[in-house]
Amino acid sequence: MSYQFKWSVLWSGQSGGWLLQGVATTLAISGLAWILAVGLGILAGAARTVPWRPLRLAGTFYVEFFRNVPLLVWMFFWYFGVPPLLPRGVQDWLFNHSAEFWAGMFALGVYHGARMSEVIRSGINSIPRTQFEASVAMGLTTFQAYRLIIVPIALRLIVPPATNESLNLLKNSSVALTISVAELTFQTRQVETYTAKAIEALTAGTLIYLVLCVSIAWIMARVERRFAIPGLIARGG
Amino acid sequence: MRRMLSVVVALAVTLALAAPVGAQPDTTAKIKETGVLTIGTRTGSPPFAYINKDNQWVGFSIDLVEQLVKPAVEKEVGRTIKIEKKESTPPTRIPLLSSNAVDLIAGTMTDTPQRREVVDFSLTFFYTGAQFLVKKGSPIKGVNDIAGKRIASQQGSTNAKIIREKYPQAQLREFPDQPAAFQALIQGQVDAYTNDGIQLAGLKAKSPNPGDWEVVGDFYSEEPYGMAMRKGDVKFKAAVDAGLRNGFESGKYFEIYDKWFGAKGELPYPMTPTVKAYLLKHSGK
Amino acid sequence: MAGAAIEFEGVSKWFGNHQVLTDIDLAIVPGEVVVVCGPSGSGKSTLIRCVNGLEPFQRGDLVVLGDSLASAGVRMPALRTRVGMVFQSFNLFPHMTVLENITLAPVRVRGLSATEAEKTARTLLERVRIPDKAGNYPANLSGGQQQRVAIARALAMQPKIMLFDEPTSALDPEMINEVLDVMTDLAKEGMTMMVVTHEMGFARRVAHRVVFMDAGRVVEEAKPEAFFAAPKSDRAKDFLSKILSH
Repeated sequence: MSYQFKWSVLWSGQSGGWLLQGVATTLAISGLAWILAVGLGILAGAARTVPWRPLRLAGTFYVEFFRNVPLLVWMFFWYFGVPPLLPRGVQDWLFNHSAEFWAGMFALGVYHGARMSEVIRSGINSIPRTQFEASVAMGLTTFQAYRLIIVPIALRLIVPPATNESLNLLKNSSVALTISVAELTFQTRQVETYTAKAIEALTAGTLIYLVLCVSIAWIMARVERRFAIPGLIARGG
Repeated sequence: MRRMLSVVVALAVTLALAAPVGAQPDTTAKIKETGVLTIGTRTGSPPFAYINKDNQWVGFSIDLVEQLVKPAVEKEVGRTIKIEKKESTPPTRIPLLSSNAVDLIAGTMTDTPQRREVVDFSLTFFYTGAQFLVKKGSPIKGVNDIAGKRIASQQGSTNAKIIREKYPQAQLREFPDQPAAFQALIQGQVDAYTNDGIQLAGLKAKSPNPGDWEVVGDFYSEEPYGMAMRKGDVKFKAAVDAGLRNGFESGKYFEIYDKWFGAKGELPYPMTPTVKAYLLKHSGK
Repeated sequence: MAGAAIEFEGVSKWFGNHQVLTDIDLAIVPGEVVVVCGPSGSGKSTLIRCVNGLEPFQRGDLVVLGDSLASAGVRMPALRTRVGMVFQSFNLFPHMTVLENITLAPVRVRGLSATEAEKTARTLLERVRIPDKAGNYPANLSGGQQQRVAIARALAMQPKIMLFDEPTSALDPEMINEVLDVMTDLAKEGMTMMVVTHEMGFARRVAHRVVFMDAGRVVEEAKPEAFFAAPKSDRAKDFLSKILSH
C-alpha cells in the first residue's frame, strides 16, 4: 500500500474556495500591515537619525521593544491583551467584526514596522549628511527636509532590502492563524484535515506562497526601476 | 517551524502508509517470544494517560491495559508478560504502530471511519461527544442556541467541521490549540468553546475558578475512544477485545472508570445511562 | 559695527574638548566680498558654516542682517532664507530635475506659485549660463554645471548674503573658471559674499578683503593687494609660499 496522490482534492468540494479565501485574507492582512509597517518604519527610521535626542530615543525604544519580542507574542498581545483595555461596548463590536483580523494586522504591522525602520534608517544613513545641510540651508525646516529630500531619496535606495522585508511580512502573516485568522496556511491545514491529503494540501500552500512572493518581488523590481535616481542606481533594464 | 512540522508529519505518514504489508502481522507471536507488550500512550492527557506528581506514568487507559488487556493477552500467549510504555502523540501514533515500534495505542484516540482504513480499533472503551464550555449562566445551553454566537473550536476537529456544515449561522473561530481557545472564552472574544465533553470537563477542572464555568449541551457528535492496532492482526485484536469484554461483564471496567472519573476521581465525569448503554451495546452484550 | 551685514562678536566654538574657533571678531559690510583662506583645519569652513546656523557656537554672538543667531532658536529656518550657501560637493538633490531643485525652496518656503518660481528659475539658469539644462537630472550634468545650478538654487531664495564653501575644490580644472565667472558676476552686482577658497587669482581680482585664518583664529585681514604683496605674519607667508608655488 503506497501513498495515493489525489490532486483533485484541491479543487473538488470546498477546497478551492477555501484556498481562495485564504489567499484573499493573506493578501488583505499583509497589505494593510505592510502600509502600517512602511508608515511606522519611515517615522521611526527617520526619528533615529534626526539631530534631536528625545526623538532618537523614542525611535530606538520602539524598534528595540517591538522587534526583540517574538511575533507570536505580539499576536497574543493585540488579540488578548488590548481589548480588555477598551470599553465593553467597543469590545463587543470588535469581537463581532473580526477582532482577530485587526489584532493580527496590528501585530504584523507594528512588528515589521520596527524591522522596516532599520532598513529605512540604513538608507538614510547612506545619504551624505550634506544633503540634509543643503536642505536646511535653503530655509527648509527639519521636517520638510526629511519629507521632501531625505526620505524620498532613502526610499529609492532601499527597495531591495525592503522587498526582502516585505516578503518576510507576507510569510509571517501565517502566524495569525494562532489567533484564528483564516489565512492561507490555516486554509491549507483545513484542506488537509478534511481530505486527509497532507502532501497535496501542503504542496498547494507552498506553490501559492511561492507565486505570491515572486509576484511581489517582480512588482518591487518594477517600482525600483520606475523610481530609480538617474545615475545613482545603475541597474539593468 | 509549524510548516516544517507539518512537512515532517506528512512524510512520516507517507512512509508509514507506504510500508510494505507482507504477511499478516502477528503480534501475539512476537509477544510470546519477547514477553513484552509495548503500548503507545500519552504523557499529558489526564486522566487517560499522564505522568503524575510522583513521576509515575498512570491513567485510565493505562489501567485498562494493565488490568484487563494484559491478563487476556497472557492467556493467549501462555506466559506472563510485561507492559512497556512509549510516548505517542496524534501525529506520531499511526507511524509508530506501522513501524512496529509499538503494538497498541492506548490513549485518547477517536475511532473514525477514515482511521479504520489504516488501523484496526478495539471495542470502544470510552465514549464522549462534542459539547460547549460556557460562562455560568450563559444563554447557550446546547447546539441549538449558537446561531449568531461566536464559537471557538480547535482547528481541524470534527466539531469544527460539523458546526461549519450544519450550523453556518454561528461565527466559528478556529484556534490551533486549547489554551488560546480557552483564553478567548475567558476574555469574551467568543461566547462558547466547543470540544469533546471530556476535554472541556478537564479544562474546567484545571481552571483557577472551576465554578465559573459550565459544560452544556447534549453530544452533537460521537467521539468513541478505542485502542488501535495494526490492521488485520486478527489474533491480537481478539485477545484485546476479550480483555475489554471481560471487564465490562465482570464490572471491573466500571470500577476502573469510577477510580478516575467518579465523584472522588481525578476528573469527575459521571457516566450517563446513554453512555453506559452505548458501551455495553458495542461490547457485544 | 553699525550697518554690518555679518558681525562676529567674540565667537568661540568647540568640538568636544577641541577648540575650533577662538574669539572671532569680524564684520562684513553689505556688498563686500571677503575671501577666507588658510591651511586645512584652520577653521575657515566652520567659520562660514556658522553664518547660516549649520554650526552652533558656544560663546560670543553672531549678528546676521541685524538678527542674533545665539538666540535664534526656532526662527533659524526663517533667518537662513536670507543667506544662500554653496557647498564643495554641490549637494543637488539627485531625485529632482534641475528645475525642481531650483523651485523647491521658493515654493515650499516662500510660498511662491509654481509658475512664478519656474519663471525665476529659468531667468537664473540664463544667468548661470545653462538655460537648456532645466529638465536634466543632476547626474547628467558635469561638475561645473552642477555647481552653477547650486548657485542658481541658492539665488532663487533672493538672499542678501551668499556663502561659498570651497566651491571649486571638487571640480576638474577646466571647469573651475565657469563657476568663478558666475561668482564674479555676482560680486559685480553687489552681493555680499563670504568665500572660502584656495583660488588666489579670484581673491586678487574680486575680493575686497582677504581674511587669513590659522588654528581657529583670524591671523590677518587685509586688502588683497596688500595681503599678497606683503603678508605680515609668518604663517601667512608660509601658507602663500606653499599655495602659490604650484
